[in-house]
Amino acid sequence: MRRVLSSAIYALSAAIGLLAFVYPFLLDARATGPLGIAHGQDAPLVITTLVGLSLVALLVELQGQAISAKMVAMLGVLVAITSVLRFIEVAVPMPGGFSPIFAPIILAGYVFGGRFGFLMGAFTLLVSGLITGGVGPWLPYQMFAAGWVGLTAGWLSRFTFHVSRSDILILSIFAFVWGILFGAIMNVYFWPFAVGAAGRTWRPGISLGETLARYAAFYVVTSLGWDLVRAVGNVALILLLGTPMIRALTRFQRRFHFEVRTAND
Amino acid sequence: MIDVRAWLLWALTVLVAASSTRNPLYAVLLLLITVVVGVTCMPVRSRQASLSPLRFAAMAVPLAALFNGLTAHLGDTVLFRLPDWLPLLGGPVTLEALVFGATNGLTLTVIFSGFAVFNQVTPVHDLVRLTPRAFHEAGVVLSIALTFIPQTTRSLTRIREAQAVRGHRVHGLRDWLPIVVPLLVSGLERSMGLAEAMVARGYGAIYDRANLPRTQWLLALGLFSLLGGWLVWLFLPSWKVPALGGIVVGAGLVVGLLWLAGQAVPRTAYRTHRWAVRDTLVVLGCGLTLVTVLLPLPLADRATLGYAPYPRLTLPPFDPLIGLALLGLLAPAVITGGPTN
Repeated sequence: MRRVLSSAIYALSAAIGLLAFVYPFLLDARATGPLGIAHGQDAPLVITTLVGLSLVALLVELQGQAISAKMVAMLGVLVAITSVLRFIEVAVPMPGGFSPIFAPIILAGYVFGGRFGFLMGAFTLLVSGLITGGVGPWLPYQMFAAGWVGLTAGWLSRFTFHVSRSDILILSIFAFVWGILFGAIMNVYFWPFAVGAAGRTWRPGISLGETLARYAAFYVVTSLGWDLVRAVGNVALILLLGTPMIRALTRFQRRFHFEVRTAND
Repeated sequence: MIDVRAWLLWALTVLVAASSTRNPLYAVLLLLITVVVGVTCMPVRSRQASLSPLRFAAMAVPLAALFNGLTAHLGDTVLFRLPDWLPLLGGPVTLEALVFGATNGLTLTVIFSGFAVFNQVTPVHDLVRLTPRAFHEAGVVLSIALTFIPQTTRSLTRIREAQAVRGHRVHGLRDWLPIVVPLLVSGLERSMGLAEAMVARGYGAIYDRANLPRTQWLLALGLFSLLGGWLVWLFLPSWKVPALGGIVVGAGLVVGLLWLAGQAVPRTAYRTHRWAVRDTLVVLGCGLTLVTVLLPLPLADRATLGYAPYPRLTLPPFDPLIGLALLGLLAPAVITGGPTN
């Protein structure tokens, strides 16, 4: 029963997060008139509140499963290592959207599972935001999106064996897709409120097809080149670091399987 | 020293004020306010921002102007025309579109500048202390990560030096492999030692699982209510009241659970920060700005906030009352009076 409830909480908070990012695509022609305009005004407040609440609920659930000392320590140290990588990225600007933080998040989620991956992604963005001065209204969305990167990497491990070259190939494709998807998702959170040319901005009441076409035009013009660099960088890092990092993480995963019992047990 | 909660409210007020206007005069005023507050309140030794607001403005304003000028073919003052066969870019490039784009860049700069000040004036550990009690495990992870960052940086330097002694030089991405893998392994070894020490000291030994199913039920119910309420709000306009009810009930359940979970976690502080008069003054200053920007007050002309240069460029209007209300954001600078050690 606990597992079912836990899955339901994951699914519901993921649905709220997803809806917060993609709701402009779901509002079709029925939402024209005063309602549509009203949503254009109340949306930032409602969305930010809902994203915050679903992130809070997910963290309460993840903590409720009693995070062990082993998980806390490993998570803290891995987050520190990845945050240092982001610090290097900020200090030494790299081309386009290239960032060294996604490969460790993907590999950690892949080896330790979706729950660990979600926490690793969310905390990495939080801690690196704190040390690089990156705290801002974008942070909850970044935490959610990076958490999803780690979460989905954990699901991927069910279909592979952690040993073969084909696994690295699958992980590379996965990293490439997330390199693009992360940028596309992060754009959507502000796109409905962006102002600009009519062909590339959202207006309440337009159809799903028109919304997708407008967003595609906006994305191609503003972000595709930037995100492609990130996606290619992710692939390069997975090809380079994938095998040795998976080996190291798997070895420590086995070593962390110790259990402490009291004298009475 | 101003309380970190007052600073958080200040940064959020800058965000709300900047997002509420497209009038370049108000945007410039807000930018000047954030710069003055940053210069006045920034500690002498603070975290260095990776990018200063002025450098950000030097990039964001021209880029936004160029982008909007090339893609939004609106406005009467045509500067030149690009060939129509160019996809997206073809058409007239107008002065109005350039000005509107530059204003958008300016708004982004104000938001960036406000949060740059926030990041520089608030110590990281004060921010961690804002973590709700219910998230004490998340707080422990944060504390470990922040504590290990200097150690990890030192490890990185040591490993690079050791590899350099062996003749290793970093030229390309591949050359990072002999540095990153030892960094990862040494970090994991440290986490192993830390985990053993935590277990030996009884971390998590008194965890109470009795309330877990009830918490899970209520959380699931709260999220379901939030999601349902929001979907109804979006798609069924005639059910606005039940939709709002669903959102409020869901939010109440999640917040209530957070509060209850926090009550079960005792927290002690070696040095507590007391809320002082100066913090209240900062809150009042932010409140003045928020009320004027968000509420339809009879004396303030809020229409001046929504200036647009289309179809023909005119001078943006300026309401002195709104300008005065924005000066409420100067409260931290007035209270602090100069850089602190």
